[in-house]
Formats: sequence, C-alpha cells, structure tokens
Amino acid sequence: MPISFVLISVIGLGVIAWAMSRARSAHFAPVAGKLKLALPGHYGLYAAIWTIVPALIVIWIWSLISPGLIHGAILADPAAAQLPAFEFERNTILNEAFALANNPNAFVSDPVARQLVPAVSTAQTRFGWIGAVLAIVVALAGLAFGYTRIKAGFPARTKIERIVLGALLLASFIAIITTMGIIASLIFESARFFAMVSPVDFLFGTNWTPDTMASPTSDMGDDLGAVPLFWGTFFIGAIIAMLVAIPFGLMSAIYLTQYANPRARSVLKPMLEILAGIPTVVYGYFAALTAAPFIRDLALAIGITNASTESALAAGLVMGVMIIPFVSSMADDSIAAVPQAMRDGSLAMGATTSETIKKVLIPAALPGIVAGIMLAISRAIGETMIVYMAAGASANLSANPFERMTTVTYQIAALLTGEGSFDHPTTLSAFALGLVLFIVTLILNIVALRVVKRFREAYE
Amino acid sequence: MSNWQSPEATARLNKRYAAERRFKALGFAAIVLSMLFLAVLLFTMLKNGIAGLDWSFLSGSDSTDPATAGVWSAVKGSLWTMLVTLALAFPMGVLAAIYLEEFAPRARWVDWVEVSINNLAAVPSIIFGLLGLAVFIQFMHLPRSSPLVGGMTLALMTMPVIVISGRNAIKAVPPSIRDAALAVGASKVQTVFHHVLPLALPGILTGTIIGMARALGETAPLLMIGMRAFVSTPPGGITDPSSVLPMQIFLWSDEVDQGFVQNTSAAIIVLLFVLIAMNGVAIYLRNKFETRW
Repeated sequence: MPISFVLISVIGLGVIAWAMSRARSAHFAPVAGKLKLALPGHYGLYAAIWTIVPALIVIWIWSLISPGLIHGAILADPAAAQLPAFEFERNTILNEAFALANNPNAFVSDPVARQLVPAVSTAQTRFGWIGAVLAIVVALAGLAFGYTRIKAGFPARTKIERIVLGALLLASFIAIITTMGIIASLIFESARFFAMVSPVDFLFGTNWTPDTMASPTSDMGDDLGAVPLFWGTFFIGAIIAMLVAIPFGLMSAIYLTQYANPRARSVLKPMLEILAGIPTVVYGYFAALTAAPFIRDLALAIGITNASTESALAAGLVMGVMIIPFVSSMADDSIAAVPQAMRDGSLAMGATTSETIKKVLIPAALPGIVAGIMLAISRAIGETMIVYMAAGASANLSANPFERMTTVTYQIAALLTGEGSFDHPTTLSAFALGLVLFIVTLILNIVALRVVKRFREAYE
Repeated sequence: MSNWQSPEATARLNKRYAAERRFKALGFAAIVLSMLFLAVLLFTMLKNGIAGLDWSFLSGSDSTDPATAGVWSAVKGSLWTMLVTLALAFPMGVLAAIYLEEFAPRARWVDWVEVSINNLAAVPSIIFGLLGLAVFIQFMHLPRSSPLVGGMTLALMTMPVIVISGRNAIKAVPPSIRDAALAVGASKVQTVFHHVLPLALPGILTGTIIGMARALGETAPLLMIGMRAFVSTPPGGITDPSSVLPMQIFLWSDEVDQGFVQNTSAAIIVLLFVLIAMNGVAIYLRNKFETRW
C-alpha cells in the first residue's frame, strides 16, 4: 500500500474527527456557574490532533524500522541462501533486487537478484500493509479517545493552546539546533582530518598542493599548508574588495544622506540596492567574461608580461562592487544615528557641509562605520562564486594583484566537488578550512554586532 | 587684522567652497560609477544573451549542444527546491518570530536563540553547504543532488531572514490591538493568531519574498550537496537528481564551446527577470499594505 494513500486516509480521518467533534460540541448546553471554556472549533481541532499526530509518529517510526525488517525477511527466504556471505557483495545484489521489484525494466547484473524478486515483493507488500494497518488503527484509536473526551466543560482551548506554545518553542529552537549542527559537523569532520594531519602543518604550512588521489598513508602535512589560501582570501576579500567598497560605499552613503534631495534619494537608493540583489554567480560570470580579460589587457598595456586571464584583481574588484550597497547601508544607518544637534551645531558655527561631514559626522559615526566594514569583510571572505569563477585555482603567496590566487572558499568547493573519497585527508581538509572560515566570520560578526549595539546606546 | 571682505578671507572662503563642491562631486561620482557598473553588467548580459532567448530555450533541457540546450529542467529544479525551502522556512520562521516577540520569557536561553539567529544570518552560505553535506547526505543518507536536500539546506539559510523580518513586522503592530483583543476575553494565543498575525502578515511576506529571492540566486551551498549534475530530463519530484537555474549558469559558464556564452547570458537574463519580479512584488506588497499607526 503506497505511503501517500496512508497519509491521505489519516488526514481524512482527522477531518472526520474535526467535523464530528465540532458538530457534537455545537449543541453543548452551558454548564451552570462555569464560563464557556472553548468554542466548537477548539473541540474539533482537539480531536483532529489526537487522530493525526500519533498516527504520523507511527508512520515515521515504521519508515525507520521497516527496511530492517524487510531485509531480515528476505534473508530468511530460501532464495537468499545463494547470496554471498561477504556483506558488500550481498548488499549490491539486494539493491539490484529492490530496483527490479519496483521497476521490472531495471538493469540487473547478477542472476541471483532476479530470483530474489518474489521474496522482495512479498516482503515489501507484507510490511507495507502491516505499517498501513498499524497507522490507521492508531488514527482510529486517537479519534475515539479524542471524541470521547469531548463534553461540556472540557477545557479544549487550554489544551490546544498548550500544543501551539509547544510548536512555537520548537520552531525557535531550530536556530540553535542549526548553529550547533554547523559547529558539530565542522568539528567532527575536522577532528578526523587533524587525526591524520597535524594542525601546525595545516595552519602554518606554506605549500598547498592538494592531491585527492595520493596515498593517504604518506605524510600529507607538507602538501596541505593553508597559509597561501588564508593570504589569498585576505588579499582578495579584505584588501582589494575593500579598496573598492569602502570609498564607494561611504561616499554614496554620504551623498544619499547629506546632499541628495528626498526624490533623488528615493530613486537612487533602490537602484544601488539592485547591486546587492544580483546573484553572486552572475557577478562571477561577469568577472570571468568581461572584467578579467579587461584587466589582463590593462596589465599587458602597462608592461606586466605574465598577466593571466584569471587574477586576484578581477575577482576582488567585482566583489568590491557587490559589497558597495552593504557598506553604504551600514554607513547610512550610522550617520543617521548621529544626533541632529551635533550637525546643526557644526553648521551654525559656519562650517560647510563637507567640513561638518569630515570633522563631525564621520568621527561620531566611526564605530558604526567600522563595524559595518567588519561585517562587509566577513561577507567578502565567505563569498564563493566570484572567486571560483574568476580568481583561479593555484595557491599563490604573492602580493601581485595580477596573478592568479586561490581562496579558502574556492578550495572548499573544489575539494568537495571533486572525485575524492570522503575518508581521504585531502577531502576532509575542506571541513577544516570551513571551520577556520566559520570561526573567523563568527568573531567578526559578534564583535561588529556588539560595537553597533554599544554605539547605538551611546547616542540614545 | 583682516576683515571678512579682505582678499585673503575671500580667497580662503573660495577655497573652502571649492572643497565643498569637490566633495559633493565625489559623492555623486561614487553613485554614478556604481550605477554605471550595473548598467554595463546588464548591457553585457543583454547583448550576449537576448538573441538566444526564445521558446525552445525556455522549454528545452540541458544538452551538450549549445543550440538545443534550454533552461526548463533547471527552472523546474529551482521550482521544486524553492517549494521545499518555502514549505520549511516560512512556517518555522513565522512561528519562531511569534514566539520570540510575543511569548519568550526573559531568560538566558532566549538570548542564545537571538544570538544564533543573528549569526546565522551572517554565516557564509558555503558553510550551510558543508552542513547540508555532512548532515543531510553523509549522516541521514538523503538522495544527493535532489531538490529535497537543496531545499532543506536553503531553508536553514532563509529561516533567519524570515525570523528577523517577521519580528520587525510583529513589533510594528501597536500594543492597543493586543489590549483590545485581550480586553474582550481573547486568550493570548487567540490575540496573536487572530489579530496580531494578520496585521503583521504583509511585512512578514515582504521579508519572506526577499529571503526566497536570495535563496533562488544561491549557488555555493548547492555546489556542496552535488546539485551540479548534468540533467537532461526535468526532475519529476523532490527526490530526483536536478539542477537549479544559478547552477545551470555556472555549469554553462565553464563550457569551452563559444555557443554557451549566449546560453549563459540568456539564462542570466531569465534569472534576473525572475528576481526583479519577486522584488517588485515585495515592494508592491510593502507599499500597498504598509500601515502607519
């Protein structure tokens, strides 16, 4: 019996429970001396929850344990006696038998699989039926229980609201669970990596030549020194991109808040924000297709002979443009938070607008602006697609922006989309890089958010 | 002693005014140059891609031949993925926002929830990809390259955005609404679900659309969970191997064949068009339903 049919019948039973209880409670006479404790809808919902939720839990548990039971039943079948004892081979044949049972045209390499098909089909049908009957019995029992509890004076509303509060609580825990999931999975996989490669080699080594095919027993530490990646990330994200994003972002924020009239502002600001809405893969393509060849030609024109089509400069510049609206809106917020009295005071003393901005507003807004720049850097070093498409793959410890350079994010993506096995230290190094990236961005974010908070309080 | 009309004072004043004009021009130039970059980017994509944008491109699937390759399989993959993302992130995000804004006690663990939501909103997207790879694929053995895993990964990314915008929208509903409902005998839960939530919904929807638009353009986390497969038949469900539109752009951009330049640019036009339409709807919703209390 297909699972969708079971689900539909359970939900159908829930609707029936809802309608029955609602109809029944509609005629309740008020209990003397007591407030009416619930509306008919509450009684209906109460019975429906009792019908649906336990049945869904049964379906879920059954979907977890039934594959094991099916497996056991097939192995007990006489046809399974010819199966090889070696587990890997046995599982391959079983998988083929499963594929064949569900789709008669499936490709089969082992004839034993074909003999197993009847056993597989009967086991699947049998356990499918058991699960379906179990779920529907539980749903009916829940319906009976919920329906019989409903009588005048039964506080269905309170019960429902307790369940709703539980659901709300559960939803707000998802964020913590996600954070812990990120930390746990990064630490768990990194621990496997650091069991094979020393953290000192990884964090301070200067040679990055990953080879996912190399024999894992050889000393991997010499080839997995991440310093060139850290440098490339820092050079592209925190230097080149910021050289573009800080002046442009700051100056556009100043122009928008101090000079532009409201109408120009209402047109220019959304247009600037379009830049932030463009997907990074589009920037990456633009960087690779247009910006990088342009920069190479420029480099050749000024006499740099070994300029390549992929360069740190192309990736960094395009990334900087992507960050402009972000820096701009952070600077905008910080400047707007400076009390009007400070600006008025400066202007009243005869300072020009630009003098007021340079000598009063920016110094006063500086903590907020710096925090905004920190968030921008955290965003730039975590950016993947632009560097993946425009910065190149070669680890290069150099300060020449026209050279190829690689970053932490590039290597994470490249290592995990390659062919390497998940137990190989080179593949696992992606998780160690991810851990470093996560810690660095986390520190930048926490410090920046704290600075912003304190800065807001200072002027309130 | 010079008076304010002396030549020195005038010269100094003129110098200050010149500096003022220079500064203003600099600010204007910063904006104009940013706009110029945007214009060049859009123009390049239109110039390269507009010729490839026809019905067979929109309805075709990926192919090794640039002339017959189309975006439909990727668009369908994106649709399935967004469906999973929306189905998970919207209820979770709204419920969490309601709890944090209306019910949460002042407690240490609530602070932890807030800190982790604010941080999750700023964690690099590729880290979510690592999470999806380690938990959904390695640990839970869900099907690789499927919209199910992609949607779940993107939902974790989108949820903080929805929570943050949802909280702001709920906060903007004035207390008098709650007081009125409570005064006529509604319970706290009824007050929130019957009165506060409907008033906050336009704001929540705006935030949701913006979050979904971001998820739609995301590539890096999906790269991690293997959604870069060559998909020549549109996926029929959330467990089939599939690609998404930004991933198709990425895959085509890697092709050596010059014919794919046109395809890549045309796919970018399709993606940008959808994103602009989504943002347009968000702005429309905000303007139409925004209430000033």
